[in-house]
This record gives sequence, C-alpha cells and structure tokens, in this order.
Amino acid sequence: MHIVNPNAFASPTPREGPGVAPPPPGEVGLKLEAWIAAGLIVPLGWCGWISTVDAQPPGPDSLAAPAVEDAGGRLEGLTEQVQTIQADTDRMKRFKFSGYVQVRWETAENSGDTVKVSGTTLTPANVERFYIRRARLKLTYDASPLSQAVVYFDGGSDRTIRLLEGYLALLDPWTSDHRHQFWAGQFNVPFGYEIERSSSLRELPERSRAENVLFPGERDRGLKLVTPWTDRLETVVAVINGGGVNSLDFPTTDPTGGKDVLGRARWSQGVFDVALSYYDGLGLVPLTGDDVETDRTRFGADAQLYYELPTLGGGSLKGEFYSGTNVNADSVLALTVSSSVGRLLRPGADPAHFDTDFIGGYAMWVQNLGEKLQFAARAELFDPNTDLDHDQFERVSLAVHAFYDGFTRITVSYDVPRTDVAATGGGYDDAPDNLWTVQFQHRF
Amino acid sequence: MQTLRTIALAVAAAGTLAAGAAHSARGITVKGSDTMVILAQRWAERYMTEHPGAIVQVTGGGSGTGIAALINGTTDVCMSSRPMKEDEKRKLRDRYQTMGVELPVAKDGLSIYVHESNPIQRLSLEQLRDVYTGAVTSWKPLGGPDAPIILYSRENNSGTYVYFKDHVLLGRDYSARCQTLPGTAAVVNAVARDPNGIGYGGAAYGRGVRELAIRRDADSPAVAPSAATVRDGSYPVTRFLYLYTRTRPAGDVKKFVDWVLSADGQALATQVGYFPVR
Repeated sequence: MHIVNPNAFASPTPREGPGVAPPPPGEVGLKLEAWIAAGLIVPLGWCGWISTVDAQPPGPDSLAAPAVEDAGGRLEGLTEQVQTIQADTDRMKRFKFSGYVQVRWETAENSGDTVKVSGTTLTPANVERFYIRRARLKLTYDASPLSQAVVYFDGGSDRTIRLLEGYLALLDPWTSDHRHQFWAGQFNVPFGYEIERSSSLRELPERSRAENVLFPGERDRGLKLVTPWTDRLETVVAVINGGGVNSLDFPTTDPTGGKDVLGRARWSQGVFDVALSYYDGLGLVPLTGDDVETDRTRFGADAQLYYELPTLGGGSLKGEFYSGTNVNADSVLALTVSSSVGRLLRPGADPAHFDTDFIGGYAMWVQNLGEKLQFAARAELFDPNTDLDHDQFERVSLAVHAFYDGFTRITVSYDVPRTDVAATGGGYDDAPDNLWTVQFQHRF
Repeated sequence: MQTLRTIALAVAAAGTLAAGAAHSARGITVKGSDTMVILAQRWAERYMTEHPGAIVQVTGGGSGTGIAALINGTTDVCMSSRPMKEDEKRKLRDRYQTMGVELPVAKDGLSIYVHESNPIQRLSLEQLRDVYTGAVTSWKPLGGPDAPIILYSRENNSGTYVYFKDHVLLGRDYSARCQTLPGTAAVVNAVARDPNGIGYGGAAYGRGVRELAIRRDADSPAVAPSAATVRDGSYPVTRFLYLYTRTRPAGDVKKFVDWVLSADGQALATQVGYFPVR
C-alpha cells in the first residue's frame, strides 16, 4: 500500500496558486519606496495614518500574510462557486438527449411516387430518390433513481415532427438496480424481438413485413409492467388500446371498448436468448351500417444465437415466428375509406370472413467481418390469409454495413421481394419491385 | 444505370470507410476506470519500453465511460473496476454480436479515508452503510466529535461508485448530501482538506489521509487495508480490476494483454500497490 503518483494528489493550495505567491524581494523594495513617497506628500490630516505606516513598515511577511488571507478567501469563494456549478451540472445531468438520423438513397424497380398530371399522361415513375428515413430525438429525464420520463420525436420521411413515444417509468425501490418497472404512456408494443429493437441497431433497414402489418407503427398507448424474476428470466405484461398509434381509429380512443392484453417471457442465457409472446385483443372495422368486430390475436416465438469466429469476430443467427388471427387483409383491401362516404365493403367481399389466420416470420444471419464491416442476410415470409393462395409475401434482403466510427454507419442493402401478381396470359408473375438502398446513419 | 449509380455510391461509402479505418491505425487504446489509470499507465510505459514500436495510449474517465467507449468502438481495451452489467453486455452484443471478454488483471482493496485529525479509527460495514445512506449524519454516535459528516463520493460513471453502492451500501442509494467528485485523487484531496470529511477509493491513492480499519460486522475484528489483508480476503472491501475487449484478444491487443498477465505485468501491479491475480 504505497503511493505511486504523488502528483496526483497535488492540489492548488493558497501558497501554490498563481497570483498569490509572495512577491520577489525586489518587488517588495519598490513597494516600500512607494509607501514612503506617499507618506511625504499626503496632507497633514492623514499624518496619523502615515505615522502608523512609518512605525510599522511592511515587511515581506506582513505583506504576504494578507495576500495569502485574500487568496484563501478567494479560494473559498471559488469553492462555493464550483459547488454551485456542480449542483447545477448535477441537475442538468438528469436530462439525457439521444437520437439518430438516417439519410437514404433508394433506387427501385418500381415506385409509388408516380405523379398524375392533367390529361391522360402520367409522369414517369420516380425510382430514385434521396430522403430522410428517420430523424429522431429522445429526451430522457431521470428525476430520481425511482422515476423517469421520456419523450421521443421523429421528423422523418413525412417531414412532420410527431410524437413517437411519451411515457413515464416508475422503478421499484426494493432492488439495488431498480429492475422492476412500471410504464404508462405511449411506447413500443412489448411483443417479440424486432419491435422493440431500435432501428438504429437493426441489421437491415426495415423490419419484416409481418411485423409491419401486425404492429403498424410499433407503438401503442397503455400500461406495461416489467418483472425480472432472475438475472435470466424476464416477463412483461401490458394493457394497451390496440390497433397501434398509426391507426386512423385509435389515436385517442378505442372503439372496441375492451383493451388488448399481451405478455412476453424471455430467457436470456447470453449467447442464446429465447422468448414467447402472446397478444389477445379485438379489432373493429367501422363500416357504413353495422361495424364489424374481429379477433386480434398473435402468438410469437423468437430466438437468437450468438457465436464468435476467429479473425472475423462475432456473428448471430436470429429467427422469429408470428401466427394468429387478424382482420382479413383481403377484406381490408376491399374497403373504401372516405370521410364523405364512410367505409363500404367492396362488392363481393364476404363480411362473414372478416378475420383469418395468418403466419409470418423470418430467419436472419449476421456476421461481423472484423470490427469495421458487417454482413446481414434475411429471408422472410408473411401469409396474411392461410386459406388463400398467391397472397403471400416473401423477401430476401442482404446488407453490408461499414462502421466509419463508433457513431456512424454506412449501409448498402438489396431487397428482393416476391409477390404473386396475376399475369395477363394466366398464372402469376413476380412483380418488379427489387430495391437498392444506401443509408448513412449517425447516432448521438 | 440505376445499379451503376448505386454501386458508385457504395464505392464512395467504402472510400469513406477506408479513410476512417486508416485514421484508426493508432496503436492500442486503453480507456476507463480512473482507479486503474496509474496502473495501466505503468503497464503501458513498461510494455512500450520492452516492445519498441508498440504504442499504448491510456486514458481514464471512469469504468462506465470506458465500457461505453468499448461499445461504441472508440477504445480497443476497457479498464473497469467493476464487472460489466447485463445491459452493457447486451449493447455490446447488439453491435458486435459478442458478449465481450472479461480479464481479471489485478485485485484491489477499497480504502475508506478520513482526515488525519479524525479520532475515528474503525467502522463496521453497517456503520459505513448508515453513514453513506444518510442514516447517520454526525460523527458523534460513531465515537467522534459532535460535527457533521461530510460525504465525498465518486461520480456515477465510476466503477468504484458502483462497487461501493453494490457491496457496501447493498444497493441502497447514496445520501443526497453526498458530494460527487471526478476521480479518486479528487476525493483524497477533498478529505485531506476537510476535518469532517469521509471518502473512499483505491488503496494505492491514500496519501494525506488516514485509512480506516473495517469490521465485517459488529462482532468481527477491525481489519486495516494492507497487502496481506487484501490478498487473503480478510479486509472486507476487496474487488477485482478488469480489462475488457470486444472479442477474443488478437494481434497487438493480445500481445499487450498477455504481457499484463505475465509475471512482469503482475509484478508491476504489485509495485503500484495492487495485488496480482496470478
């Protein structure tokens, strides 16, 4: 137990501080002369004061003592200032800002950006574009170790700033790391794996199609309880409006009255994680005439396996499976949505077949190529109606990431979707809708 | 045409990356625990002396800061005076698909400092807990003067802060009156100037202050921090010090880590005031 770096303990004491050191002897001499000269020319009325000075000519010690005292006072003042600044800084530290920006270049085989002009001519399809996919800012306020508030904004491709998340979290006072949490507000639906995973971390630019259809917008409003039973096992139970924040019908109200309930149990072994999720709720399709209420249930299972290869580094295999009952996508597509005419069934749609069974899922492989490059591949499937053929969606996606630094990632990805489209001469063709994406992302 | 443009963009992106990669060719960076800074600096100096051409850069900032740097890729090696938390491992896994590699490289005793004029010689862990959680605010019930206890602590990005909270406070929160300071040296300085102060930090730092003997409980003997008591575990507040890497160490990083764990590296840890793990 000995000292290794005496300099580490050197603190600026009053004797060592700049500007408080005793003046050199020559300088003291000059000051004495000045005092004497001043004593000769001042009015007689000040003689008493002068005589005091003459009687006790200031030596180096008597000059240094007040200087040291003065410096000591200043140091105390500075200490108080530092403590005040420290207190203010501590308060500021309760605010945490984070976020990221994703700038994209896309070039596609087709595009929905075609603009109709007057007459019969259509402009050519816009297949190439720059755009801001996500521009997100999250503000977290840690009021105390037991509570937290979060607001999260996005100003992405629609160029409108909108509230993505807004919730408060209460943390338990009975565990050392306050692991049990109660959330209230608007947050990611705690189902499966990819929903809650930040888009800034995901290895492919977009989530799977199944997730997009089943949980549009990924967020909903309600309550959530997170309970870690052990270091490995965690459960989440939530009660939400249902329908998601992107729903036209559910942004503020829940027409079904009853709330959707969901839960998830996850076992995290570290190199191997597995989870089961279940969602039970009702969906309502408002129509002109009687509305139609359907089951909205989802079952999910996901697993992730991590490994490490010499030279290349870490890699992972991930998979997720969805099944359940949903509003019949074909019927939904048949609906006409218009505020003036209400919502109507397209002629031929079967009101008795509003909800159908679906399945979906993906398998993904991620491999680091050293620490600066990463490769990812995903194959996915979504069948919105297991009773109907040629309505499946399949997609293979490939991506390479280059990490410029710890905060910036450059991604090149290629998506090859397969969707059956009725061919003119009979049969089905794959629609030309492959997509190249180059994305620049910076996190902060 | 579209594909060509995309490829051109990809090439430009790759060029940018290559520039970034070239920029990163700067030897081995070691960042993290302020407790370990002196030790790591000595390791780096000796290693560079023995391995001409090798460059090892050591900076502090706290264990939390070092782990964050390991996760975001701005350091090759992280020093930490506490084990990585589960959520930190998850963040590392999200980016690198690995859980990190933990290497205990030294053992440390955490000293409790008071001013040299303070008559208190020893405290039990329970008394220490009461002091730092704010249950006891005066020296008097502890056998000292009738004066307020001034608490000094590390900042919450410090592994020492986390270790003390987890193992001495048993997870309870620090008193709101606790003054946080950046670095163990700052804590030592503050206590050395404050007759009513109390602080904690690495044993190798304790100059200008007095280190208290600690009782494991009320019936246990008080044990002062020393080489022998830390090594044999009789001193109640001991811990491992770690180096972390993202993946299994390879190349220059492996050479450096292997040297740290060699007889020479461990002997240097002893010279600095810590205790070898091998």
